[in-house]
Amino acid sequence: MHWLPRKTVVVPIDFSDDAFAALETAGELAADRTDLHIVHVLPLMEPTDPGIIWATVDDESRRENASEALHKELADRGFDGIEVVIRFGDPGHEIATYAKETKAGLVVVSSHGQTALRHLLIGSVAERVVRLAHCPVLVLKQ
Amino acid sequence: MLVWLPAMAPCQEDNQAPAAEQGLEAGSEDKTADEASDWQTDIDVFFGKYLVAPMAKVLFFDFWSPRWLRTEILDEVVCSNEKCGRKIVTAEEWPEGDVPIVLVCPECQSETATGISVPLVVVWLFVGAVFFTLRMGFINVRSFLHGVRLIRGDYDDPEETGEVSHFQALASALSATIGLGNIAGVAIAVGLGGPGAVFWMVLAGVIGMSSKFAECTLSQMYRKVSPDGTVSGGPMHYLHAGLKDLRPDSAWVGSLGRILAVVFAVLCVGASFGGGCAFQVVQSLNAVREGVPVLDDYPWAYGLIMAFMVGIVIIGGIRRIAATAEKIVPLMCCVYVVTTIYILLTHFSLIGWAFGQIFEGAFTPEAGLGGILGVMVLGMKRAAFSNEAGVGSAAIAHAAAKTEEPIREGIVASLGPFIDTVVICTMTGLAIIVTDVHNLHPEMVAKNEGAALTVEAFRTVGDWFPYILYVAVVLFAYSTMISWSYYGERCWSHLFGARTSLVYKLIFLVFVVLGSIVTARNILEFSDLMILAMAFPNILGVALLSGKIRERLDDYWKRYKSGEMEPNRNR
Repeated sequence: MHWLPRKTVVVPIDFSDDAFAALETAGELAADRTDLHIVHVLPLMEPTDPGIIWATVDDESRRENASEALHKELADRGFDGIEVVIRFGDPGHEIATYAKETKAGLVVVSSHGQTALRHLLIGSVAERVVRLAHCPVLVLKQ
Repeated sequence: MLVWLPAMAPCQEDNQAPAAEQGLEAGSEDKTADEASDWQTDIDVFFGKYLVAPMAKVLFFDFWSPRWLRTEILDEVVCSNEKCGRKIVTAEEWPEGDVPIVLVCPECQSETATGISVPLVVVWLFVGAVFFTLRMGFINVRSFLHGVRLIRGDYDDPEETGEVSHFQALASALSATIGLGNIAGVAIAVGLGGPGAVFWMVLAGVIGMSSKFAECTLSQMYRKVSPDGTVSGGPMHYLHAGLKDLRPDSAWVGSLGRILAVVFAVLCVGASFGGGCAFQVVQSLNAVREGVPVLDDYPWAYGLIMAFMVGIVIIGGIRRIAATAEKIVPLMCCVYVVTTIYILLTHFSLIGWAFGQIFEGAFTPEAGLGGILGVMVLGMKRAAFSNEAGVGSAAIAHAAAKTEEPIREGIVASLGPFIDTVVICTMTGLAIIVTDVHNLHPEMVAKNEGAALTVEAFRTVGDWFPYILYVAVVLFAYSTMISWSYYGERCWSHLFGARTSLVYKLIFLVFVVLGSIVTARNILEFSDLMILAMAFPNILGVALLSGKIRERLDDYWKRYKSGEMEPNRNR
């Protein structure tokens, strides 16, 4: 029996082992593997970055590279055929927006262990997703 | 000439001379006394008293050397107590000639140390550069020609990991390093320390090539390659990852790396506000106001225009302007060098004499050992400020180069101080010396108007000639700010995450405007403090990791010499 029959489950992947572990969990919760949507969020590049200055890097090439790397990683871990989306911007915000756009029933996100100071200074993507998402968010502790 | 460097006096924040020693550009008195309104003065006083002075005490600690390292006895010394400010005529107070090194003011009894200050950070930079030169077997000399071939693209491979070619990475790094330090800083160094300062600047540039090689190699070795193909690196990465890699089983070494990385990032953010921003604004303003008199009345307008121009790039995201500004830097360098060569040719008969003055001034100043040290400190400091060798900033840009061979980028990077200091700073220095403007305009030296001195040197050729300099100065200042905002933003993101980078950018713009308000004295002191202090964590980390660099270097050099690596044009 599945918790969320025929509902989209969004899983943000940042290439960490924790994120792929979250994908495993999400796979168990989703009714079907096709309900799983993977989202990878790339930071916006600074206009002053050497790659942008010299026009050797652009969002399209980054999207292609990231998508290719993600598909390869997923295949290696036995997750073929899952929809992958690459977005640009603040991870917390983009994940929540994507979940809303796809009318997701659940977001499954891993929480990285951070030191108190780092947490205070940088904050956590999982926390922002919880705050911004329209749907339930399952946060998996490390 | 007298070499009086009272920056070194304990109450350095209280007298005018420190500014002089550090080569800041001023117009400061003009600004505060004659033109600036009260609010501008308030901001300046607050900035100097609560930000610059306390930091100077710690970061420029000099072992109290002004109290025991003697220089030439001066005829007249101004009391270090700002409220007193009495002129102490040494011949009158000590007619016997037994002038002590620490003078006691007959009026307020305050002590004024007249010796030479040798700040720890300058010793640190010098010892670091000598150490890397020896440790890497004079890499600054032996890899020079190979470096030129690398820049020409002889070994470029578009399939390799990274974002930009060797040449592009070097040009990006140079756009940050070549700025007003090369134009104003050198002029002030010559004005205050005499032609000998140029010698020490060049020497610092040559050995600084090894520091640059070491830090940029590390930056490549420990850069982070993201799945989207972009790379990020710099001291905040290699200090942490490198030291962890050095002793994986030692929590202590790992923590040290983490702390050094954070300290570096904090200082780099500060340096981007100072030397990478406000310093550029105040210096370029002082040069340009010669040709645009309206800026004399409204200096803040220049700050606002600059803030707008920087803002549309770093916040507005207009990439084309940033790209044009940076790409034009190599061209502007060539224009600047050709122009200074033209000035030298118009004074052809004096070139030999100028070189003589440089060597003579470096080794035989009238002020004895203290004087030599004074000129040395001045030259080294201005060189490090200009080429940033040992400071670690350029390593952030060099991490982006496309290569699988970290040593290659290190070699390319080592040419940076050569171009910046050995070529461009020497050109400025020679132009100042042959035109003798530093002696013809002592008032400019006294007010530390370095850029204005260079303008005068240009004016000797023709009235229209300084306009070339105005354009160069504004472009150098602008491109330096754009590049340094990138360094600062990277470090800010390292500390606080990318989400808050807008906060950083807004503060950066505030400093652009501050550059046109705060006196040059405080700005240069703040800039010097931040930029030079970056060398503390950076050189310590790089020195600890120097064994790993040497290992890589030996392996690379063996393969290079064996002919195993073919240039791509032979492939």
